[in-house]
Amino acid sequence: MTAGVRHNVSFETNNIVLIALVAILYSLFKMATVWRSQCAFARLFAGKTGQILNNATDLGTKLGPGSQSAILAKKYSNYAHSPFVTKIKEQYDYEIVKNPPEWGYVQRLLPFDTIPAVTPKDSYPSGWVPPKEEAKTLPFFLCRTRNHEIPIYLQITYRGIRKITKIKRIEGDIWLLNDEIKSYLKEKNNRYVETRVQEVGRFIEVKGDYVNQLVDWAHSKGF
Amino acid sequence: MGSRQITEKSLSMLRSLPRISLGNIRDNPNCKKNPKRGRAQHGGDKHGAGNKGSGQRQNFMRLGYETGNNPFYLRVPQEHYYRGQHLRREYPPLSLHQLQNMIDKDRLDVNQPIDIASIVRSGIYNFFPDLKQFGVNLTDEGADIFVAKVNIEVQWASEQVIAAIEKNGGVITTAYYDPHSLLLLKNPKKFFESGQAIPRRMIPPPDAIEFYTSAKTRGYLADPEEISKERLKLSQKYGYSLPNIEKESNYEMLCEKKDPRQIFYGLEPGWVVNLKDECILKPKDQELLQFYNS
Repeated sequence: MTAGVRHNVSFETNNIVLIALVAILYSLFKMATVWRSQCAFARLFAGKTGQILNNATDLGTKLGPGSQSAILAKKYSNYAHSPFVTKIKEQYDYEIVKNPPEWGYVQRLLPFDTIPAVTPKDSYPSGWVPPKEEAKTLPFFLCRTRNHEIPIYLQITYRGIRKITKIKRIEGDIWLLNDEIKSYLKEKNNRYVETRVQEVGRFIEVKGDYVNQLVDWAHSKGF
Repeated sequence: MGSRQITEKSLSMLRSLPRISLGNIRDNPNCKKNPKRGRAQHGGDKHGAGNKGSGQRQNFMRLGYETGNNPFYLRVPQEHYYRGQHLRREYPPLSLHQLQNMIDKDRLDVNQPIDIASIVRSGIYNFFPDLKQFGVNLTDEGADIFVAKVNIEVQWASEQVIAAIEKNGGVITTAYYDPHSLLLLKNPKKFFESGQAIPRRMIPPPDAIEFYTSAKTRGYLADPEEISKERLKLSQKYGYSLPNIEKESNYEMLCEKKDPRQIFYGLEPGWVVNLKDECILKPKDQELLQFYNS
């Protein structure tokens, strides 16, 4: 009788150990399936994987057991309402390099704070012409764009039937500027050229495609 | 009670009541409803559906059906202009003239190797990796005026362009970047701020491997000896004497090349760049090093 009881007891303890083992194995297996089904780097960003590049790995941290199953088990409609991931432990070794020699490569990649001013050169093979100082003495002025180009554009409308050359960013006596443009184009093309001056919008529209001629004229004036 | 009080009372009532919607709308009290449908001139009409046929019965024919004729959409033979369009890679063009213009206006530094990151940084060229645009196609417009001596890395280049650059003593490489790497190259600052480790560059897809392993197109996976042979061949074809870049003062810069797994010059995959503290986190773990070197 006593032996039987003992046997029973040991069986029960055995059973408990077995159940516990099975439970641990099951939980590990479940974790593994979760990791495999989600991307490997989805552990930290459960529900927010869209931001992660698919060839990036997030191996810097590893979660403790039980931290992510609770998160992945429930789908939250809103990322903001999902709880923070807890029990993160750092797993991988890394060193922090202060003042690294490679910092120059990083700075080279950062965007310009402002558009750089053009340093004077002997020649500009692309045909770009720097503005001259003498242009500032004229009664009118044509301001360069932020990309250091002359703001003269061609506007094509009605399927290429109407072509209008638009001179923008003009300052000063724009009516005098208009007269000069008109006489210049009349001399060049031997024909009357229609223009329209917009005083409020500060632009002049010339009927026809005269972009190259007007850019040449602006260069000759030093704008 | 004056009318003013009535207005205020009803206004306060309106404030407390829920908004009117289809869910809580109802008829006025004591309104009279006609229980019968009128069969007179308009009340008992066909309701706009006409008399007889599919109009009245609302059983319309399927789209394109021509009651037994050979329908138009089958009569005309198909021409698949856009077959495979969703798989094609696009390389938005940048001409040599534009490149020279950027150099003239100091948007590009000739003393550093030029890649797509520095071209986009100039602010004059832009591209969209999410629209299947895979980087710069350097075109030959302005090849005659191009004089800069550069070490440039583009994604696509023609023979004329290669000749124009090598004639001036420059070096050109065509390199493939996967769309995610291109996203990083387009805006490196945003990526560094995200705090992620720099990923590896992926290898080109099967249909692009030939281009990027060929020495003729100066592919980044080609044999360097083959490339030097092809440089000489091209110079003989176009009739210019190939400048000896080994004697140049900036020979080291001209030789600077990225690893096929590398995205940024001088920065290895696996590193994390901290812009705020100006430091770089480098992995030391063997597992990580093995992963990023593979």
